[in-house]
This record gives sequence, C-alpha cells and structure tokens, in this order.
Amino acid sequence: MFYRLSGVYQTNYAADRKLWKIPADRWQVIAVLVLALMAPLYVSPLYLGSYVLPWVIWSAAALSLTLLMGMAGQLHFGFAAVMAIGAYSSIHLVRAGIPFEIALILSGVVSAVIGTLFGGAALRVKGLYLVMATLAMQYLVDWVVVNVPWISGGAHATLRTPAVNFLVMPIDSLAARYWLALGWAVLITLFFLNVKRTSFGRALVAIRDKDFAAAVIGVDPFRTKLAAFFTSSFLGGVTGAILAFCYYRAVTPEQFGFNVSIQLVAMVLVGGLGSVIGSYLGAGFVLLAPIFLTNAISSLAAAGWVPVSQNFLSHLPLIIYGAMIIGFLLFEPLGLAKIYDNIRKYFLVWPFRHAKS
Amino acid sequence: MKWLRTTALTAALAFGSVTTAATADEIKIGLLQDFTAVYTFLTGEYNQGQQDYLTLINEEGGIDGNTFTAIVRDTGNQPQRGIEAYNRAKEEGAVLFDFLSTPVSAAILDQADADKRVVITPVHGRGDASDGTVFPYIFPMMATYWAQAANLIEFMKTNEGGLEGKKIAIVHIDSPFGKEPLPILDALAAQEKFEYKAFPYASPGNEQSAAWSEVRRYQPDFVMIWGAGGGQAVSVKTAIQNGIKPEQIHSVIWLAETDAANVGPMMKGVKRFEATASGLDHPIIQRIQEKVITPGKGAGDAKNVGTSYYNLGVATMAVSVEAARLGLEGGGPLDGDKLKAGFEKIAGYDAEGLMPAITITAEDHQGGGAGRVSEWDGEKWAPVSDWHAAYPELIRKTIEDSAAKYKEGH
Repeated sequence: MFYRLSGVYQTNYAADRKLWKIPADRWQVIAVLVLALMAPLYVSPLYLGSYVLPWVIWSAAALSLTLLMGMAGQLHFGFAAVMAIGAYSSIHLVRAGIPFEIALILSGVVSAVIGTLFGGAALRVKGLYLVMATLAMQYLVDWVVVNVPWISGGAHATLRTPAVNFLVMPIDSLAARYWLALGWAVLITLFFLNVKRTSFGRALVAIRDKDFAAAVIGVDPFRTKLAAFFTSSFLGGVTGAILAFCYYRAVTPEQFGFNVSIQLVAMVLVGGLGSVIGSYLGAGFVLLAPIFLTNAISSLAAAGWVPVSQNFLSHLPLIIYGAMIIGFLLFEPLGLAKIYDNIRKYFLVWPFRHAKS
Repeated sequence: MKWLRTTALTAALAFGSVTTAATADEIKIGLLQDFTAVYTFLTGEYNQGQQDYLTLINEEGGIDGNTFTAIVRDTGNQPQRGIEAYNRAKEEGAVLFDFLSTPVSAAILDQADADKRVVITPVHGRGDASDGTVFPYIFPMMATYWAQAANLIEFMKTNEGGLEGKKIAIVHIDSPFGKEPLPILDALAAQEKFEYKAFPYASPGNEQSAAWSEVRRYQPDFVMIWGAGGGQAVSVKTAIQNGIKPEQIHSVIWLAETDAANVGPMMKGVKRFEATASGLDHPIIQRIQEKVITPGKGAGDAKNVGTSYYNLGVATMAVSVEAARLGLEGGGPLDGDKLKAGFEKIAGYDAEGLMPAITITAEDHQGGGAGRVSEWDGEKWAPVSDWHAAYPELIRKTIEDSAAKYKEGH
C-alpha cells in the first residue's frame, strides 16, 4: 500500500542495477536529501550547529570506518587517530598556502599512507590481535601529536583552523560549514553504495568472509587488505579535516583520543555493520542520545522530579544510555539498520504479513 | 479545578513580585562541566561550592533584587557535548560560563568571543587567555599554571634555603597540561641558577614507578609533581617509596583532602600551591553553613563544605557575583559586555579573606596571579607562606608572548 508493490520484481537489467530499486524508496531518499539541503532554512542555529552538523560529520566518519569493519571485516580501534592525522595535516597544509580543496585531498592521502602502514599488521594478524595493532596506532599517534610541538601547535596544543574558501563559498557561516559537511557525507554515501557492486567491493566481502577462501578464488588478500585500509583511512582523513574545519574550528589532541575511537566503533556496531543507513542511525544514536538524555533528566530535575544528588544526576543518563545499548543489541543484534529494515519490510507489503526481500 | 486556581494565583503572585522589584532580573550562569569522565576528582565539590554560593546570594536577597540561576549540565569532557550545552544555555540567556575542561574550553573560546559571552577558566585552561587584549571575554581570574609554577619555585628559593646549584625534578603527566610549567622552569633555571629535569609519566598515571626510579637516580633537592586526579596520590606514594621525603614534594593546585586520605599518614609535610584557603573558618563559608547548609538547601553532601575544591568553587562564584554587581552599577539587564566591564572593574577583591586580593584590568584578566603554598599537617592544609604573586614580570611576558602567537592563528 505504502510502497505500491508486492515485492521486488525487476523486468530488465537497468532496473535491477538501480541503487534504489523501489520507486517509493527513491522518493524517500530524494525527500530526505531535499530536507537535509534546506535544513539551514528551517532548523534553528542551536539544532543545526549542535545536532545536525555533528551528526552529518560523524555519520561520514562511521561510513568510512564501516567500509573497513563492516565490508572488509578488519577491526580498527584507532580510527580517531586516522581522523586526527587528517585534521592536523589539513590545517598545516592550508597554513603552508595550499588551497583548501587540494589540502582536503592531500590530508586524506597522508592519513591513507599512515593508516595503511599500520594496516600492514592486518596481513599477519586477525581479530583481537588486529585490535591490539590498531590500538597501538591510536596511542602512537596520540603520543606524537602531544610531543611534537610542530604538529600540535606549541603552547596549550590548540590549533585554530585558518579562514578558507571551498571553491567560491567562504567556509565561515554555519550554513556554509553545514553544506560542505553534508556534501562530503553525500559523496561518501554514494561511494559506499556503489563500491558494494564493484569487483573491489566484492573482493572486500570475500576477504571478510574467509580470506584464504578468497585467495583460492583469485582475490589477492595482500592487495585487497591494504587497499581496504587505504580507502577507509583516506575517507577517515578527509572526514577528520571536515570535522576540524566545519565543526570544531580549533583542534586539540583530546578531540581525537581513544574514547573517540571507541565511540566510532560503537556507532558502527549499534548502527549495524556494513550498512549505510546504519551508519547514520548509529552515529545519531551514539552522538545524540547522551545529549537528549542529559537534557531530559536535567529538566526533570529542575522541575523537582528527580530528588538525587548532582553527582548521581549526572550519571543517570549514562546508566539509561548503557541500558539502551544493551536493550537494542538484545532486541536486534544486527543493529539499528536491521530494525529499520524490519519496519520497512513490514510496510512494504502491509496490510499483508510476509515480505519477500 | 482547584489546582488551576492555585497555580494561577501563585503565578500572579510571582509576576507581581517581579514587577514590584522594577529592574530585578534573573542572571543565568552556565556551569557546563565534566561530572562523569576526567575531571570527576574535582567537579563534584567544586560545582557544589559554586551552587551553594549562588544560593547564599539569592537567600541574602540577590544583587539589588537580581537573583542567580545556575544551569548545570554534564558534558563528559566531550567537545561536541560542550558545544551543544553552550549553545543551549546561550539560548536560555546565560551570560557567564564555566566549563572546567580543557578540550571543551578550547572548542568554545572563539565562539564565546564572537557571541560576547564571558567564560571563566579559574586555575585551569590556557594561561595566555590572561591577556585581555587578545581574549576579551575570557577570564582566568586566578593564578594560571604558569603563575603556580613560579610561586612554588619562589617558595623553594625564599623558604627552603635558596636555589643556586640545586636540582629540581618535575614529574608530570604526559599531556599538554603536564608540560605547562616547563617554559617557566626554563626561564627561571637560567635566572636563579638551578638545574631541572622533567620526568613524564603516561596518562592517567595509575602506574609511575618507571619515572620515579629515574628521579631517585637524579637525586633532586626538590620535587614538583604536576598531574591531576588519581595520579596525584600515586605520585606522592611512589615518590616516598623511592626515598623522596614528603617535605621535598611540591604539587600543582590539584592535591586535596581526598588525595591525603588516599595516601595516608605518610602524606604529612607535602606542600602544594593553593589559590583559595581551605577549611570552614571564613566569613563566607560560615554564612553558607548558616543560611544554606543548615536549612537543607545545599547542593550536595554537607561534609564537602570547606574542602579545598569546594572553597575554590565558592571563590570563583564570589568573584563572578562581584563582577555582576559592578557590571550592574550602570543599570541592568546584565549582558556579556556589562559583565566583562564588571570583571575589569574588580579591584582588591578578596572574598572576605577566602582568597588573595585580585585586581582585574582590561589587559590583565588573571587578576595578578597571586597564591600561596600550604602544607598537609596530617589533618588539614596549613598555609606556610603569605598570599603573593611570584615573578609577575616573567609571567606577564610569557602570557603576552603566547597570546601574540595565538593571535597569529596558533
């Protein structure tokens, strides 16, 4: 009824190759995109600057990470360090006089090279051992940034982003910063949706499922794994630069600490591994749920409904947040993306009960 | 419908009382701090002191009828949550902010300047924000880390037998905060002819034995410890295990009653910098006891009252309320510009003896940078020097140099 069809039945190859095969899905995506583009016109600066903008950027970061973790199956617990490299390189490159557009790409390349270097560990180790290797990257990058004043910016280790133009648009107003971030998120999304149906994307999936089986059918694990780290680190590096220029505008080492890496992994897992919509939902959940909970509980407390100490009051949102993560994962281990998928499938054939996917 | 009538009546009464007080206003202060992540060793007591002082001022009738409201939120030390909390509190009308977090403050400094909102960064945050010409709306308003280091060095020089030819070991957490005193030590080592060596330990500092066994080999005359939270008690304990005498240990401001309790009896003799007096024996704290704590209006556990961090919180709000009072002299309502002007009018204010007298000017937002050294005598922190500012010219020069670099974009 809502989707106007009883299942997915293509009659020609062109229709089967479409990104969104069902017209209703396509219309939804277009509607969301138009709404997102117009957001500066109808969303207040408070919500645009503190909710929508960080959500868009962190979704791009989650997408970059899920390419590696979800598609290629390589665990990465140091992704904040990758973003840090991108953020710091972009600022130093722009300071050196390189145009912002090129600095963005170069910062991605710097991240990709360093990220691939550490990704080399993936050639020898898997699973938890790879987690250890990427953790080492996190701590090494942290240490270098803090201990090399030339990178971190000397006194107080705060680097401000210089004023820049992207093409002709000056990146200073909130709307301009939002549109640039949105543009990058859309670009990564399109890349991710398309890479799934290239030979490279299929090679990644083969490596994820069993790397020696992939080798037997002619996928070179050496090249594919390194390429996975390279691509994901490139995207992560540019996202780090976007984060620095569009959102924080002053970069300190603490912004890319270990806890941020864990948050990124949480976004990917809670959203659903290897899913585009999951990256958006996961980033939104991990980023915004604590803020909503804190505000809700604080306003309840202000009205006198929660008579507990300030200390307990501050921890209460964390308790609820933790329970929510466990709840979601118990309810649907495949993440928020699967919950969305279930709802979509229900409405796909509503009022009937069973859907063919 | 009785409840409706009651509500309407209460509302009418409330509005009535507002109109009679003519210019009376509600001044909102954003205390958007980290209650759950890194600064937890301090935030609870500090924030409690801040809230209790504001309650005291409201109980005493406010300032010309203007009352204070604290907007308290947890930011978990995460910049994105700090930015959200700041933007929200700004919409609610807050004119003064205290983040008590380096990453959150760093992400908001420029925005606050653009929005003309006052941010206080007492005894933490960027030292160069003391330069009011570069950071017009940021007020460190108490001794910066640089002034703290200078104060400890001067104490060693004047009270502990001079510095010439002596060796100082500085054992610090390996972070930007831990490295803060090093430029001051560089400058003073040349001037006072002592040598020093830095021994970093990895964050968060639960394990420091590697650093301290090297300190033992260095055989220092004095030791400075520069960390925060749980790592501080570990520093003191490991130092003593490595043969350092408690009397040799001098700490940054972050060493308090809780750390003394964690270290135990061997803590006796350890010294620290302090920017405010601890204990209950001060007029303001007495009034808080009488008008806020005893009637049960306190913001937290009554046994925290009088601890170092509680009194520090009280002092920060005492200075802020004084600034608000001076800012309102030209008439309300209070906005960021008036509050800034109020801060810059503060002259010789000492919160009734709770802190050294501070004088803030348009150039000097540190307020002089005075402090003193106190010693743990087994039960409390007993002052062993008088309030004074050490090496003020050197500190000022460091502030101006660093601020000039910031202006260039660093």
